[in-house]
Amino acid sequence: MFSDYAALIVLLPVIAFVLTLFLGKKLYSGGALLPIAAIAGSFIISLGIFFEIYPGGMVQQSIPWFGNGISQMNMGILIDPLAIVMLMMVSFVSLLIHIYAVGYMSHDPAKPRYFAETSLFTAAMLSVILSDNILQFFISWEVVGLCSFLLIGFWYHKPSAAAAAKKAFLVTRIGDVLFLAGIVMLYVNLVEIINNPANAFKIEPGNFLLQFKTMFEAIPLIDKTQLTYITLLFFGGAVGKSGQFPLHGWLPDAMEGPTTVSALIHAATMVTAGVYLVARTFPMFFATPATIMTGVPDSLLIVAIFGGFTALFAATMGLVMNDIKRVLAYSTVSQLGYMMLALGTAGAVVGAQAVGISLFHLVSHAFFKALLFLCAGSVIHAVGTNDIREMGGLFNKMKITATTMLIAALALAGIGIPFINIGTAGFFSKDMIIEKSFEFGEKTGGWGWIFYGFAILAALLTSIYIFRLWFMAFTGKPRSERHSHESPNVMTVPLMILALFALFFGFSQTGFYGYLEKNFELMGVEIAVHEEAAQLPVIIILLPVIVGVLGFLISYAIYYKRMIDMSKIISSENPLYKLLLNRYYEPKIGADLIGVKLTHDVVAQSGEFVDRKIIDGLVIDSIIGNTIFKIGEIIRKLQTGVVQNYASITILGVALLLVLLKLKLGGV
Amino acid sequence: MGLYSYLLISIIIFTIGVYGIITQRSGIKILMCIELLLNSANLNLVAFSSYNGNSTGQVFALFSIAIAAAEAAIGFAILVALFRLRDTINLDNINILRW
Amino acid sequence: MAGLISLMILISLAGALITFLAKTREQARTVAIITSGISLAISLVIFSQFDSSISTIQFLESYSWIPSIGVTLKFGLDGIGMPLVLLSNIIIPLTVIFAWGETKQANRFYGLILLELTGVLGVFTSLDFFVFYIFWEIVLIPMYFLISIWGGPRKEYAAIKFFIYTHVASLVMLLAIFAMYFNALGITGTPSFDMFGLLKSYQVMDGDLIKGVISLKDAVFIGLLFGFIVKMPAVPFHTWLPDAHVEAPTAGSVILAALLLKMGGYGLFRVILPILPYSDSPSRMITLMAIIGVLSILYGTFLALAQRDLKKMVAYSSISHMGYVTLGAAALVPLSVSGAMYQQFSHGLITGILFMSCGVIQHSAGTRIIHDLGGIAKYMPKLTFVMLAGFLASLGLPGMSGFIAEFLVLVNSYFTLPTFVILALFGIVFTAGYHLWAMQRAVFGTYNEKLGHIHDGANYEIASMAILVLLVIYFGLNPNPVLNMMTVNAEQLLKSVVLRGVIT
Repeated sequence: MFSDYAALIVLLPVIAFVLTLFLGKKLYSGGALLPIAAIAGSFIISLGIFFEIYPGGMVQQSIPWFGNGISQMNMGILIDPLAIVMLMMVSFVSLLIHIYAVGYMSHDPAKPRYFAETSLFTAAMLSVILSDNILQFFISWEVVGLCSFLLIGFWYHKPSAAAAAKKAFLVTRIGDVLFLAGIVMLYVNLVEIINNPANAFKIEPGNFLLQFKTMFEAIPLIDKTQLTYITLLFFGGAVGKSGQFPLHGWLPDAMEGPTTVSALIHAATMVTAGVYLVARTFPMFFATPATIMTGVPDSLLIVAIFGGFTALFAATMGLVMNDIKRVLAYSTVSQLGYMMLALGTAGAVVGAQAVGISLFHLVSHAFFKALLFLCAGSVIHAVGTNDIREMGGLFNKMKITATTMLIAALALAGIGIPFINIGTAGFFSKDMIIEKSFEFGEKTGGWGWIFYGFAILAALLTSIYIFRLWFMAFTGKPRSERHSHESPNVMTVPLMILALFALFFGFSQTGFYGYLEKNFELMGVEIAVHEEAAQLPVIIILLPVIVGVLGFLISYAIYYKRMIDMSKIISSENPLYKLLLNRYYEPKIGADLIGVKLTHDVVAQSGEFVDRKIIDGLVIDSIIGNTIFKIGEIIRKLQTGVVQNYASITILGVALLLVLLKLKLGGV
Repeated sequence: MGLYSYLLISIIIFTIGVYGIITQRSGIKILMCIELLLNSANLNLVAFSSYNGNSTGQVFALFSIAIAAAEAAIGFAILVALFRLRDTINLDNINILRW
Repeated sequence: MAGLISLMILISLAGALITFLAKTREQARTVAIITSGISLAISLVIFSQFDSSISTIQFLESYSWIPSIGVTLKFGLDGIGMPLVLLSNIIIPLTVIFAWGETKQANRFYGLILLELTGVLGVFTSLDFFVFYIFWEIVLIPMYFLISIWGGPRKEYAAIKFFIYTHVASLVMLLAIFAMYFNALGITGTPSFDMFGLLKSYQVMDGDLIKGVISLKDAVFIGLLFGFIVKMPAVPFHTWLPDAHVEAPTAGSVILAALLLKMGGYGLFRVILPILPYSDSPSRMITLMAIIGVLSILYGTFLALAQRDLKKMVAYSSISHMGYVTLGAAALVPLSVSGAMYQQFSHGLITGILFMSCGVIQHSAGTRIIHDLGGIAKYMPKLTFVMLAGFLASLGLPGMSGFIAEFLVLVNSYFTLPTFVILALFGIVFTAGYHLWAMQRAVFGTYNEKLGHIHDGANYEIASMAILVLLVIYFGLNPNPVLNMMTVNAEQLLKSVVLRGVIT
């Protein structure tokens, strides 16, 4: 029954968007109730559909859109286990953040715009999730990016916000172009496969060209090299959207937006769209040939390399940031790297289960990272600054915020008790990824171990930076004269709900994996699963928790007990510190060097030079124009202005004509 | 007199007119030469008309005379205006159309 | 009784004449809006009766005009012309509404706008080369006056540059038309300027223009192509466009970019594609067109990035977007060609918003130099809203009409011109770049206090832009009403291509 209304999951927030945009001013709290009601509706429908289709059902609805013949495009809905899990998570987190925002944004005059844009964002994000074809996926993906752009630039009068919004859009756009190129190649391959009679491959009525279903069915027929290109181009899109190296720079800058936006878009939902894309097209990644490393499909290996490297790379920068939100932003980048790493390494080890492993971390990350951001928002709301150096001693004033944030930090650090399986959400989700990286190393040997190194080192750094954040904000003496207070209930209640999930979501692990494992079988794709219950050494099972605790202790020692004087390390003379604080000079290289210097100053300006000086100046003015003027100079001498001269020439002409006529006709 | 005599006179008048137009500098003389051209044409028309026994040509000649009169009037008017403006009707000096 | 098409053309012409004679500004603009409204209504009637499943000419009208040289007043519409007629009739009334506050010689201003309507309608509907050429030239004259009377500081220069460029191009095209005409005359013996007849007779043309250098067929093809791509305009024949746009009044710019440029693209589909497979070296011609297309896309993008003047930037963006039309046409795949046609339609709508935005900013802030603006969103929220929508549409945001067109062109051109598509894809990032960079510097950020007190756009200005935004979104979500007829015609056009084995 709920399945019939699946389209409403997207349409309700769209309607709320339009209504809030135009009527928001006249409604309570800038029309916040409309999106809240709409998203609650989406959540209820998603939940209803989940109970309808669990454990082995799907919802598929599709209508033709544009194009014709075999190139018919469509719009449609595909709700499989993968999608329904995401749908529930996104609509639920979005709902909580919208409620929180009623308190957080209460003093902002532009509330209607805020709630309209977040509502549109939620609609687009839900549409990404339930798309049944890659084109609709791409379109929603871009609209999501648009909302991200609008919301980062929400306080557009701040130059830094306007610049960050632009950067976010452009950097993700680089990924989007790669994604689009992937779609182009996929499309061409599919059409050629269908047009080749030898393949006997055709689209059944009711199915369409760019549907995931058709794509998966065609996998065996696509040229293997082409398949690698296509999947890598898709991954390029994912790199942009999910802030993976080298397109990670926009995500920390995106913190210029309201904190609720950071929580919703840049932590819990949009940035995970890249991971979702790889998960969604996982059978294609899995089918790429293994030419670099035996037994590991090329594309999955690349995904693992980028993901693993990003996980560590971003964590190093998280260590030194002083802006509370930037620490969390780098943490997000790092955790997204984990999800990619999971898809890559676990994909090679256990096949389709990798999607479950990655998605499980995605969902648990959504809970605790949204919680971290909302807590940060609560702190910022209270003290009025983002700089953790100016905070301190907030624990007594903001007990709820501090406690929930501690829970979230524990979840992020993956603290739990191994063997009896009690722990935070991150304990279940992240440790599984680290274990799979180990299995990957065992399987491949050689430099395949590097992924385990990435994962475990990043885990240590994660623990250090998150507890550094917590200790600096909530313990010690207040370092500024600010009057701070606990946030209102409308903000703390969502925090507590999210904290519950950050604590207890992990226990659904087994059921979650089991549910998602069947995902691609439902779509009719066989993915070889290596069924070998690997017996891991005890130390490997313990190690993730050990580094988590170790990180906690290091931070405790430095930032609580102040056992080490950091002032020597934190100085502009320390090159490593400088490198990290300047974010590996990524903004300088990316925006200044490539963006402004190379593209604008060199390429564009020389184009302008060619246009004005060469085409207009030299060719048109000097060569063509001057030649015509010169000819004119000569010919106009004939123009004496004396009528008689003209008359004489006329008569001469007539005489000449007569003579010619005479010669031609002959006779008299 | 045969047709040729008329045509001969007509040619002579026409040639005189053309010669005058080309050589003379005074606007009035040139206008008079133009009248000569027109009249030679009229003579032709009338001669052919009489030769062919068809009066159409004579009618044309009448038209042409009327037009010549109008043209002369306009021409002289222009010259008068020109004289007031430039104190001369020597066409060599009237060359503002020159480059 | 006259047919609907000639009725539409005559009404716009009559409206133009009445507007010229109007005594007051109120009369002039009332007549203008009523006339263009009637024309719009007629085109909607035609559109609703149009059968988009067949590729033949519909609403055919034919009146003998100069039989001795074979000129007939022949009008008709198919899937190539219909969307552009609709576009013209959408743009002109909105332009009149946008320019509702024009005070300088209002009667002539609105009259010239209506005359432009007459011209473009004639171009898009006439099926006789002679008449086509007449309308083609009619379009030039009002635009010349719009620029040279209501233009900016360098209006004379811009107007004459515009005129010379496009006129030289049309003369070359005229020579090519005559070559086809005399060729057909030599074969059939009966004079005729009938468009389809002449295009058909091109197939059996032979001989050389200059022996051993260029054959007559190639010369005619290049002449026609030259005539159209200068109008588009394509690099390297584009430099008239930025100057014309910078100096033209807003209404002039809108018409120039939204309608006049489309004539070039229309020529590609109507004239170039039917004869392309029969030219002596089709593959070379295809490569030529593809190079021009991709060059325009990239070059226009980078030049837009370099501009300081907002309007000039938009002008270069037009060059870039029209490059997709050439590229899609050159690819010779049904959906790439219909994508190129759709790009024409979509660009007409989008560019209207962009130029109107520039006009409002110029009017309100007194400058269009990006550097001198800054933070105007604070005082111009309504403008910012529609302008942002227009800019996003222009950078190809999915969900808006430009994306459908670019998607179709890129995806389907990849079949035949993969290298060029990959090159064109590079442009997409930079396209987003210059749009957003300009928005960031001009509209967002801190308010530049030197601008003094500025006010938001007038309601009629914002309204006409908002209508365009709605249309852009509508056609981005539901392209079928115009895309279907384009596809039908594109398939029909390309039958001969397959037949000749130009593209396997």
